[in-house]
Amino acid sequence: MHSEPLNDRNVSSNSTYYYVDIEEYPTQGWDKFKRVIKRTFKGELFVGLWVVLREMIKFDIHTVQYPKEKLPIGPRYRAVHKLLRLWESGYERCIGCGLCEKICISDCIRMDTKIDENSRKEVTEYSINLGRCIFCGYCAEVCPELAIVHGQRYENGSEQRAHFVIKDDMLTPLDLLTSGQQAEYPGFGSITPNESVKKTPLAY
Amino acid sequence: MINFTINNQPVTAQKGETILQAARKAGFYIPTMCYIEKTTPCASCRLCVVETDKTEGLILSCQTPPTEGLNVTIDSERLQQERTNIMRMYDVNHPLECGVCDKSGACDLQNKTLEFGVSHQHFSAKEQPRAIQHWGAINYDPSLCILCEKCVHVCNEVIGDDAITLQFGGYKSSVVPKNSDTLDCTFCGECIAVCPVGALVSSEFQYRANAWELTQIPATCAHCSAGCSLMYEVKHASIAQGESQKIYRVTNNFEFSTLCGAGRFGFDFGVQASKDETLFAKAVGAFETASAIRFSSLITTEEALILQRLKEKLGIKLFNEEARAYQSFMAAYTEVSGKSSPSGTVEAIAQSDAIIVLGGRVSSDNPAIRYAMTTAARHNGAKIVYMHPLEDALLQNVVTQNVRYEAGSEEGVVAMLAKTLLENVDVDDVTKNFLENLDEGYLCAESNIGDEEFARMGKMVRRAKRKTLVIGSDVLGHSRAAHIARLCALMESMTDFSLVIVPQMVNTVGVALVCDLDEDTQSDHVVGYNAKGDFVVGSVGKCDMALPALNAQEGTFVSLNYHLLPTNVAVAFEGYCLNDIALALGVTARNTIDYTVQLPQEKGFKGIEFDALDNFYGALGEDNRGYILDVMMCEVAISFEAIADLPEFNGTVVYRCNPINQFNGYTAVSSGVEKDDALRGSMQFAMAARIGHGERVMIDGYDEAKVFVLDETLKGTIALLPRYDSPFGDMGAGYRFEKIQLKKVGS
Repeated sequence: MHSEPLNDRNVSSNSTYYYVDIEEYPTQGWDKFKRVIKRTFKGELFVGLWVVLREMIKFDIHTVQYPKEKLPIGPRYRAVHKLLRLWESGYERCIGCGLCEKICISDCIRMDTKIDENSRKEVTEYSINLGRCIFCGYCAEVCPELAIVHGQRYENGSEQRAHFVIKDDMLTPLDLLTSGQQAEYPGFGSITPNESVKKTPLAY
Repeated sequence: MINFTINNQPVTAQKGETILQAARKAGFYIPTMCYIEKTTPCASCRLCVVETDKTEGLILSCQTPPTEGLNVTIDSERLQQERTNIMRMYDVNHPLECGVCDKSGACDLQNKTLEFGVSHQHFSAKEQPRAIQHWGAINYDPSLCILCEKCVHVCNEVIGDDAITLQFGGYKSSVVPKNSDTLDCTFCGECIAVCPVGALVSSEFQYRANAWELTQIPATCAHCSAGCSLMYEVKHASIAQGESQKIYRVTNNFEFSTLCGAGRFGFDFGVQASKDETLFAKAVGAFETASAIRFSSLITTEEALILQRLKEKLGIKLFNEEARAYQSFMAAYTEVSGKSSPSGTVEAIAQSDAIIVLGGRVSSDNPAIRYAMTTAARHNGAKIVYMHPLEDALLQNVVTQNVRYEAGSEEGVVAMLAKTLLENVDVDDVTKNFLENLDEGYLCAESNIGDEEFARMGKMVRRAKRKTLVIGSDVLGHSRAAHIARLCALMESMTDFSLVIVPQMVNTVGVALVCDLDEDTQSDHVVGYNAKGDFVVGSVGKCDMALPALNAQEGTFVSLNYHLLPTNVAVAFEGYCLNDIALALGVTARNTIDYTVQLPQEKGFKGIEFDALDNFYGALGEDNRGYILDVMMCEVAISFEAIADLPEFNGTVVYRCNPINQFNGYTAVSSGVEKDDALRGSMQFAMAARIGHGERVMIDGYDEAKVFVLDETLKGTIALLPRYDSPFGDMGAGYRFEKIQLKKVGS
């Protein structure tokens, strides 16, 4: 529907707005009593009861057995972070640029980096303080390598308020990567993991 | 004065200034990539091009002086196009690794690329295979290098190592070690500092932190008496260590100041402690029962004042032989010169065109002086006379006249030098008599300097305009130091030489000004502060109680320029400091820096609060660090003594001299500085001492064994004995040449 008729908020024949029929509000005591009786015995109650009974007999139960079962979550849901690996080589995607650390508005990301034996930057440790994280998603947004993404794990119950998330917890384990279980963030520039993904020739 | 216009605005330039310098002074912005104030223009980037009404094409403002009435345009459409094209060329195949590059966020190329809006690559070239070079403390990535030549110019014109050069080869050009496969230099790291991109980086620092994460703490270098300005850059240590801060690197304002390798890489000398009350009570008790406090000059001026107050309160003595030697030298100097401080500064050396260095191995004692000498030699064509018993291979490119005298003969040498410099000067009768009565034959023979050497010096001096005499720390410990001081004062006041005296430690001058020092009598119950004692406090060596190191303290140093320089806390120290001990003993001021304002004004201090002291260089190089001490005048009493018989140093003689980039107990524990604690000597020394390369020897009077290393670059019979590795670092007391007994020990 076009929104223009809606913008005209004056009730008229051109406008989409109209007055709803509203029953007179009872003022007399007798009228009030009559309304109670009418509402009580009208039988609407049994309509709902019948639905419950019908479904009970049919054994078509929709209750999710949490925590044994979980509902699927929207792909853009921002839960606990994950560090991803490159599909083709298994190397970590994180290059240690420090942009997530910089952009983090609750200042809860830290990383330790060093130079490795191939003169490349190596991220030795990466941690997010989930007690402070507000799951704003800026880190995932700023990451130039799609290395840090928000995963699907939304359960943060813990004995301590500020449990660290360390690199080993977040990084995709290699066996999950090789079995194709690394969930890909469907954002800009992301790839579809299939057989067309090949190892990047890094040495040439 | 030259009057010209920039963008139709009238501008005046001093004689010798370039258009760029005049424009910057007048507040005009001309972009540059390769310009660095302290060297001659590299003229490689061509970004500083300007238009004038008297030239057809574009001219480089960095190397062109203006002429009277010139009209200069610095921001026309044509210039913008030219500069944008230059930036496009710079960006050809520049690796897009800003994400990991150390320079990212503080990168000239990044800034200028954004400034000129170069958003994509207009040209391309075939990429060359370029391997990353590992040169010890320095890593070089040729693919990041933009060939601006700043590093080459600084290394050659300021440092004097002349260790790197540009290898021309069109697109394959790169910076390479000069005449060598690998970099062989003093590792000052100045090339790292000036590199506008991430091509030259410190291998210790590389990929450990990003520029924007580091907090810069303005401070003063704690290693030698030059008191160079530096910035400690700190960040949290690591995830495992939580919030505790750590120094990641040291940077400097490389446009106007220069750091040596010790300043740049020797920063992790901090100690850490917690507040241990029983230990503190023990320390306070030790101070109460002490007869004296022995301390080294590795302290702030405020702490020196605390020690002086403790002395007055407790009636104890203060021992510091190294500062006492300087103090008595300056006392004798004041008698003849009539003023409290010498006229020369390190900056004045750089401006000089004649420099005489006497009695000190400046390249290792005080690199700032060496850099100033190199600058003078390269930029002013300065004539430099280096007078020392040992030749210095590092100075061979700048020194025009090497004069070797016999160890111990400094008094005679200075007297002869005074006679040479005062040859045609009208002097008073006392001086005239003294100079005439010098036994030249004896002095020349014993010091082993020929007449012709002095004649050559005299000739050189007559031609020069701005002259500096540098007196090294050898003479401070000489038995005839007081008389040498008088002669130095005479030369300074009677000639147009300015005088620089080089004490050994960072705050020797401050201690000498603030403390009444007593002769070290080796008595009992001595509390040591960074020095030997029955109870030792401090941050150097093995201490009973740790006090904050000089990178964990705020306070001031007094440099050899008589310049009070503030320093700040880079890493917080959790334990007690000297002021806490003083408080417990009844010398009360809440903070150590409360003493800054109380520093004695009769010695030239200005009575300014610590928090009112600045510590930075202005945009045009104005020195806004602390303040320069007032020169105190007093009565002149010229008197000279006969020259004492020159002592002879025969047999196995060593010279106490630390290797390059090593100064004290702080550099000894710094991981970034090379440690070479071997006894180094020439073949001649080895033969005289009957030892061979690699043999371990014990030296009488010293605790540790030393390895002897045969050094081809040394000449003569004197060996170099490092002392920075001794228990409390180099205490610097006594005459630096020493006749020793060697004993071989089993390896």
